[in-house]
Amino acid sequence: MSRIVACYKWVAEEADIRINADLSVDLSKAKGKISDYDRNAIEAAVQAAEALGGKAVSLTFGTQKAKASLKDVLSRGPEEGCWVNGEEADNADSSVTARALAAAIKKIEDVSLIICAEGASDTYARQIGPRIGAILNLPVITSVAKMTFVGETLQAVRKLDDCLQTVEVELPAVVAVLPEINSAPIPGLKAVMAAGKKPVTEYKSADLGVDLTPKTQVTAFKGYVMQRKNIILSGDVGENVAALVAALRKEGVL
Amino acid sequence: MSDKFDAIIIGAGPAGSACAYTLAKAGKEVALIERGDTPGSKNVTGGRFYTYALEMLDEKLCEEAALERPVTHEQFMMLGGERSITIDYHDPSFHTPESVPMSYTILRARFDEWLAQKAEENGALLACGIKVDDLLEENGKIVGIVAGEDEMYADVVVAADGVNSFMGQKAGLIKDLDAHTVGVGVKEVIELSPDVIEARFCLRSGQGAARMILGCTEGIHGGGFLYTNQESISLGCVFMPDQVAQYKKSVHEIYQNMKMHPSIYSLIEGGKTIEYGAHLVSEAGYRGIPSRLHREGFLMAGDAAGLVMNTGYSIRGIDLAMVSGIAAAKAIIRAAHPYEAGPLYMKELENTGLIPSMKKMDGFFDILETPWIYDRVPNLATGVFSDLFSVHGQVPQSIKNSVLQRIKENRLSLWQLAKLGLKGVKSL
Amino acid sequence: MSGIFIYSERLDIASELITFAREAGKPAVLLALSADAAQSAKNLGADKVYYLKGESPLAESYALAVAQLLQKQGSELFAVGATASGRDLAARTAGYLDCAMVSDVLSVSCADGQIQTERMMYGGAVLQRETLSGLSVITVPPGKFESSPPGLAEVEVVEVSSDPRVRLVETAPIVRQGTDLSKAERVVCIGLGMEKKEDMKIALELAEVLGAELGCSRGIAEERHWLPVEQYIGISGAIVKPQLYISMGISGQVQHTVGIRDARLIVAIDLNDKAPIFKAADYGIVGDMNQVVPMLTEAIKKMG
Ligand SMILES: Cc1cc2nc3c(=O)[nH]c(=O)nc-3n(C[C@H](O)[C@H](O)[C@H](O)COP(=O)(O)OP(=O)(O)OC[C@H]3O[C@@H](n4cnc5c(N)ncnc54)[C@H](O)[C@@H]3O)c2cc1C
Ligand SMILES: Cc1cc2nc3c(=O)[nH]c(=O)nc-3n(C[C@H](O)[C@H](O)[C@H](O)COP(=O)(O)OP(=O)(O)OC[C@H]3O[C@@H](n4cnc5c(N)ncnc54)[C@H](O)[C@@H]3O)c2cc1C
Ligand SMILES: Nc1ncnc2c1ncn2[C@@H]1O[C@H](COP(=O)(O)O)[C@@H](O)[C@H]1O
Repeated sequence: MSRIVACYKWVAEEADIRINADLSVDLSKAKGKISDYDRNAIEAAVQAAEALGGKAVSLTFGTQKAKASLKDVLSRGPEEGCWVNGEEADNADSSVTARALAAAIKKIEDVSLIICAEGASDTYARQIGPRIGAILNLPVITSVAKMTFVGETLQAVRKLDDCLQTVEVELPAVVAVLPEINSAPIPGLKAVMAAGKKPVTEYKSADLGVDLTPKTQVTAFKGYVMQRKNIILSGDVGENVAALVAALRKEGVL
Repeated sequence: MSDKFDAIIIGAGPAGSACAYTLAKAGKEVALIERGDTPGSKNVTGGRFYTYALEMLDEKLCEEAALERPVTHEQFMMLGGERSITIDYHDPSFHTPESVPMSYTILRARFDEWLAQKAEENGALLACGIKVDDLLEENGKIVGIVAGEDEMYADVVVAADGVNSFMGQKAGLIKDLDAHTVGVGVKEVIELSPDVIEARFCLRSGQGAARMILGCTEGIHGGGFLYTNQESISLGCVFMPDQVAQYKKSVHEIYQNMKMHPSIYSLIEGGKTIEYGAHLVSEAGYRGIPSRLHREGFLMAGDAAGLVMNTGYSIRGIDLAMVSGIAAAKAIIRAAHPYEAGPLYMKELENTGLIPSMKKMDGFFDILETPWIYDRVPNLATGVFSDLFSVHGQVPQSIKNSVLQRIKENRLSLWQLAKLGLKGVKSL
Repeated sequence: MSGIFIYSERLDIASELITFAREAGKPAVLLALSADAAQSAKNLGADKVYYLKGESPLAESYALAVAQLLQKQGSELFAVGATASGRDLAARTAGYLDCAMVSDVLSVSCADGQIQTERMMYGGAVLQRETLSGLSVITVPPGKFESSPPGLAEVEVVEVSSDPRVRLVETAPIVRQGTDLSKAERVVCIGLGMEKKEDMKIALELAEVLGAELGCSRGIAEERHWLPVEQYIGISGAIVKPQLYISMGISGQVQHTVGIRDARLIVAIDLNDKAPIFKAADYGIVGDMNQVVPMLTEAIKKMG
């Protein structure tokens, strides 16, 4: 049975990121989550598997922390999970991530389609899908807003800056989907219960036989803080509106 | 996966996780269902935990539990106007190398997640992010639950869903909440470095303080608490909501005023709020326990069963939740048939001493009903101390006179105070 | 020819990237992937134009050919306009070269054979600076450099094979309906807290008395389709710099607020006093927009 691979990244919840006074960034208190748009990629894989009569498989490259993602992702529908476990994921750049994922995909049999999201919520680099395609020498379609399958042919609608483009490709292929492609449902009780029993394959990054040294060198990683007046009014609405109008007038914007 | 479990437990708080842990360890098929994205993510508590309950669950658990600081310093604070009195009771025997410290401060987001994970390691199936909406009933028996589109069956359903148990209401065992017996608590976690915490509370490295605060509620029935965690302070207070409404103030406002009290502010100054939450807490003690805690196929544990002891100097709910969760599990394990579980559970609760302890402490409810202990008593005490410590080079008043005058000033009488004292002695 | 190789189907960005190459003191080599593009590229002021002639009408299908050309010519950097199709071509080229790539740079400089870039991470919460050495790829959004003065360049045609596997079926232009928010002096912005499409009335009325443009968060445009996509503000939408920005029902996630950082005054209206938008605001009112906004509109009207 053909497999549809959904790539997802376990990222830090950006709302939990703390910026210290010296603008250094503290990620230690941030909870993990499946990157927002990857939830749509996972759902797209589940739907594609149904359309193609195949099996959706989830794939992530992450540190030990990503272990917590397995139950979460499998409750969203894929039948098997695959995890490339390596501490290198913490400072991987796009080239390392794409290489690691491509190597893992080679180990999965009968892959007919690889689905990434447009961009991850931390990097939002929008590179991994096309890079995986290049490494595996597979055709790539990015900015996908809609997919339909006729036999082994995928027809995709791409949303580009100034046009909607319809393209066709014979599988296997790599696609990067936009979040608009579907609305990823919140998993129900049975799905969550079933997730714990689905099979998971774990690869150690070192066993993939690829170079895991980043090509870019990060020289600074600094938080951004907006300095604003933060005058917040609560209580009586009439008074607040009057106070606001007075303030805006004083500021010279009215 | 079969669609029927030996037990379904609703809520992965301390009651639910302890119950699931015990059942799973005994080889039962258990589902533990939690509506929060992670266990503890929505839970608000003061933050003191008595370790005996963990040892009851499993002897070695304390060693690896997600705990903060052992409580070596028990403190009591009274606020009156800008003044304050703090009593510090330090007992090294509460924290000796030979034994597990009696109590620890904890942060629920960490503790609950850890405990649920332990239950999971024992084989319980944990499902987070799922809210149970209803119970399934057949022939007068509870046989399962409904969550969204899904139904799931079990021999026994345990409601460990906390105060104001929605499941208890569905099962018809709990009436609507009475605002008179339920307090509302607000709590904040304020981050500070361990050095600063230890310096401000005169603690040695790794020691912890637990403090109850009287006189911080602007006369409303209620009190404050403060616990030192490893890298933060938990500060909050609990009030009776019906009184708050009468005073036309918001709970949030009263809490903010308490925070700004000079003696409190100096403890948290420079800290950063990393968590803020509000939650209900049962205040009624023994008399707040519903008359029935079970039906065929259904048990209630922890806050859902009203198992909270509030003595004014401490709130105990987490340990009781765990003890009752374990009791429920034991009853389910021993029951040859689901209908036996209920009565066996009640027997367990008696045997563990939980219900008897609550009965013993019942008198506190009356003391805490005394309206003037929340402002006039702390004002009186701080006033007397003010007289005691003021030196202006004039002939001082006798202490007796000062006390009498302060009593009068606070619109109290010796008689009232004596009655309170008597009530206190009787209830102890 | 070595130097900085440039590609963008948008001539404005291509021209800006030529300026970047000039500032870096490097030859600017422009790539064109169709006969038309080669024709216009010729006049942009580059030092040289390579026209990669193949079969596919899709720029992305030339990634392998581009990678081979870059290598053969000893290019130092491939700078690509940050459009949907440009990013795709750039990332695929980087994949074939297995080289460093930085997407959507905030700033880029080139000195001593090293490229320094800055970009946003975590939706804008963090700024990351990187150093790239060796042949690398970057994508650059519009407006980072001045356009270069025109000038004629030699065009060299290189016959290449494009990737035939992805076939174009049809193209439907998207009619731009939105306004250019980046130049608006005042912006009234609605978010998912707005319950019904009819409620947009309160925002429109406020916008009218203020003479403001209407903006929104991503979900309003991309999921609910209440406003055109040009109207949403944030890291993947418009970046605005108005004198006054007023939001209603926007929680203020960083991906949105990054788009209003340069606003002079930020006003937020939200039900939830813990909403992060209040941390980003100069003035805020905690309350129901359906109550607050009409009153605000009236109050401003009264001022005349
Ligand atoms: C301000 C405050 C201070 C306190 N201080 C202390 C203290 O210092 N020490 C102490 O021992 N006790 C303290 N308590 C009491 C203590 O917090 C509770 O007694 C204890 O948490 C009870 O545990 P529980 O497991 O019964 O319920 P909870 O901890 O409330 O857990 C119930 C769980 O069920 C989940 N749930 C609810 N409904 C559903 C549903 N329908 N479907 C799925 N899941 C559901 C909830 O999300 C929650 O995780 C305090 C309480 C308050 C409010
Ligand atoms: C890679 C990536 C890129 C993204 N790019 C963008 C982007 O460019 N732009 C963008 O906007 N988002 C972007 N997002 C999405 C972003 O993370 C947020 O999800 C989004 O901005 C939230 O939109 P919102 O504030 O409208 O909705 P919500 O977060 O749902 O907030 C709604 C708010 O309305 C309030 N509310 C509800 N009812 C009322 C009422 N009656 N009166 C007043 N207030 C009310 C609520 O309290 C709440 O605060 C991106 C996300 C990712 C992962
Ligand atoms: N570490 C990773 N593991 C699995 N998939 C990833 C990883 N990093 C990125 N992806 C996938 O590639 C997409 C684009 O990522 P990026 O190019 O970093 O914006 C993501 O949305 C994921 O679908």
